[in-house]
Amino acid sequence: MPNKNRVAVIGVGETAFKTNVSEKTYVELAQDAAKAALDDAGLVPDDIDAIVFSMAPTQFMGVNDVEKWAVDSVWAAGKPFMRIHTGGATGGSALHAGYAHVASGMYRTVLVVGADRVSDTPDAQHILNLIWDLFYEHDFALNTVTMTALSTQRYMHQHGTTEEQYARVVVRSRKNALKNPHAHLKGNITIDDVMKSPRISWPYKLFDICPRSTGAAAVVLANQEMTKKHCSRPAFINGIGGLTSTVFMGDRVGPYADAELSAEAEFITAGKEACTQAGITNPMKQIQVVELYDPFSSTQFPQLESIGFCKPGEAQRLSDEGAFDHGAMLTVNPSGGTLCSNPIGVTGLVRVADAALQVMGKAGESQVPGVRNALATAIGGSVQFVSCTILGADHV
Amino acid sequence: MDTYVLGLAMHPPAVWVANKRLEEMVFDTAKAALDDARIDRQQLDHISIAGCDELDGRSISSMLLSAPAGAYLKDEIKTTDSGLIGFCLEAMRIESGRYHLGLLSSWNKSSTAPLEDVMRMRCEPFFTRPIGLNMSIADGLFAQSVSYTYKISAADLSNAVVESYKRAEKNPRGMRASVPSASEIDASPYVAAPLRKIQQAPVTDGGVSMVICSGDWLNKHPGSKPLAKLSGLAWRIDEYQLGSERLGSLNGFKETFKRATSMTDFGQTQLNVVELDSQTAFHDVAFRRALDLSAGCEVSPSGGPFAQNPYFCSGLVQAAEAVLQVSGRAGAVQVKNAKRAAAHGCHGFAQQGNAVAVFEGV
Repeated sequence: MPNKNRVAVIGVGETAFKTNVSEKTYVELAQDAAKAALDDAGLVPDDIDAIVFSMAPTQFMGVNDVEKWAVDSVWAAGKPFMRIHTGGATGGSALHAGYAHVASGMYRTVLVVGADRVSDTPDAQHILNLIWDLFYEHDFALNTVTMTALSTQRYMHQHGTTEEQYARVVVRSRKNALKNPHAHLKGNITIDDVMKSPRISWPYKLFDICPRSTGAAAVVLANQEMTKKHCSRPAFINGIGGLTSTVFMGDRVGPYADAELSAEAEFITAGKEACTQAGITNPMKQIQVVELYDPFSSTQFPQLESIGFCKPGEAQRLSDEGAFDHGAMLTVNPSGGTLCSNPIGVTGLVRVADAALQVMGKAGESQVPGVRNALATAIGGSVQFVSCTILGADHV
Repeated sequence: MDTYVLGLAMHPPAVWVANKRLEEMVFDTAKAALDDARIDRQQLDHISIAGCDELDGRSISSMLLSAPAGAYLKDEIKTTDSGLIGFCLEAMRIESGRYHLGLLSSWNKSSTAPLEDVMRMRCEPFFTRPIGLNMSIADGLFAQSVSYTYKISAADLSNAVVESYKRAEKNPRGMRASVPSASEIDASPYVAAPLRKIQQAPVTDGGVSMVICSGDWLNKHPGSKPLAKLSGLAWRIDEYQLGSERLGSLNGFKETFKRATSMTDFGQTQLNVVELDSQTAFHDVAFRRALDLSAGCEVSPSGGPFAQNPYFCSGLVQAAEAVLQVSGRAGAVQVKNAKRAAAHGCHGFAQQGNAVAVFEGV
């Protein structure tokens, strides 16, 4: 990777994710995650040189520029501090911004931290309707559910995917989440349970959709010197890739589309960039764990295919065969993923944090044996902002 | 540092840019910056954006604005603090060695947003929101505090207003508002004692874009001549609560300046030009007194926010003016032999955050 300095994750912190956390304020949640990450890294607040704050739309919790309120709670006063916001991709982009802080050589240690209280709003999907163009799209009842339902219908038409195949993804995720103490939704459910859950927007049923979660996450990034000093088993950031596409979904369908909507084809470019930097030529063979941003049961297949784990249309068969189960060919979302916890402003960071824990061998009951490389993704806007991060046990 | 400004553009300011959507403002400014740098969008390897959802009136404003800002199918990240913090992000991405040619854009069309309501909603819900704190009141508290610390008199403030508008009147990129008379200053109403309305820089619509590149990129493109080299960069946030120490000491402002200038081969005293993000006359007087500048250093020759004040990206406007100074392109407000210029930006209630960028002519 042609950066000036090595960058590694040396500490990870997450709170439990729940619908409501009435006993803590927003800033206290952020502090809990920051403290946990610092403790994990064996650092104290004075060891941190700069802070990157991860927070998506503040309308979810009702305080504009809420990160400024959190400054004292995450021990940022007197230090360089900035907030990153790329919608649902925020946590992934914040990690990339934190990476730039350290890779530039300007800072030795950076705390990337954020929190969200999505359930503080009475209607998150109304706020998410307001992300669309005022003149053309507000009135179409577009929100993140209906938006991705449309692209899922297109994918199903192209590849013959069934609702039961998506239901299997939910079953696997909820089962994986049983081993993750932070996960919001978890349990041994059946395909039949998913199929019988209330219809929301075809082909989605309630269980195909992530929860609205409250919680916080943080990671500590460090340069080579600080990594050596404080962490015997870091997760090196070996590859980063990001891509922004058009907001208009109609421009992403048809023979002349630059990036096909149903394929989440932005990941072809972002994934290839990250893999190239990380020296990954065969993702399925060289990567053991992926933590995908999957707020819907249909979000995994196109990502896996566009990043290059399998060919277009193959992921559903591999999923049916158990190839993505815990400890199988490729462990997909051993944490339970976004389907089980979605604190939007930090979800992308949680993906990175959970991937880093796997590389660092600290994933507890979720741990997959022998993880040398793990990949994390994030998606924001109208599936238009994507980020991809590859973490490795060895620096490339 | 090994980061350069290759081209820039500023959207003509107005109280209300009525004939364009925000998307059009951003596109026009980004395109003008690319043209200034003689760069095609396809050459860019990344984009940085600085925007504010709440001032734009949207939940994820970059969904609609990333494409006009040149980000279609590019690696793009947005920060929400201020335009000058966007510059800090962009510079670090270049300094990381991972990126080499980028476009940074920031904007403000607060004519379409209730600015004070947006600012009031920045207050946390338990203590500061119930008492009705907003931007003007926060600036009023700041004014009280720095008046005491820096011994600012009514005459100092009147002089600052007149001199700011005099400089701003000459700036071809500003609003060119007329200089207020003594009677207008005296008759101006209080917005939050001791702050009077005429002492506030009027907020405008506007936007800035800059093309930024690495030294490596320049070596591979010897035909391209940068406008300026980035020599120093620092930013910092201070505590959220508006205590007298935070308000009156200007510790964040002074320390940020010190850190940025300490990265250069010269010091604060060797600066030829400083462009300050002085949102009020109180800021202007206090900032000047807090800095250790040489007698020959020109402070805010552009008129600063009194020339144009697209609030969210005002700091980036100061950076653009500083770059124009060291590249000899500042026009009627050009300072003779300006080789080293610093730009300042602040954000948050009563300058919770400060950023400083130092540029040298190339």
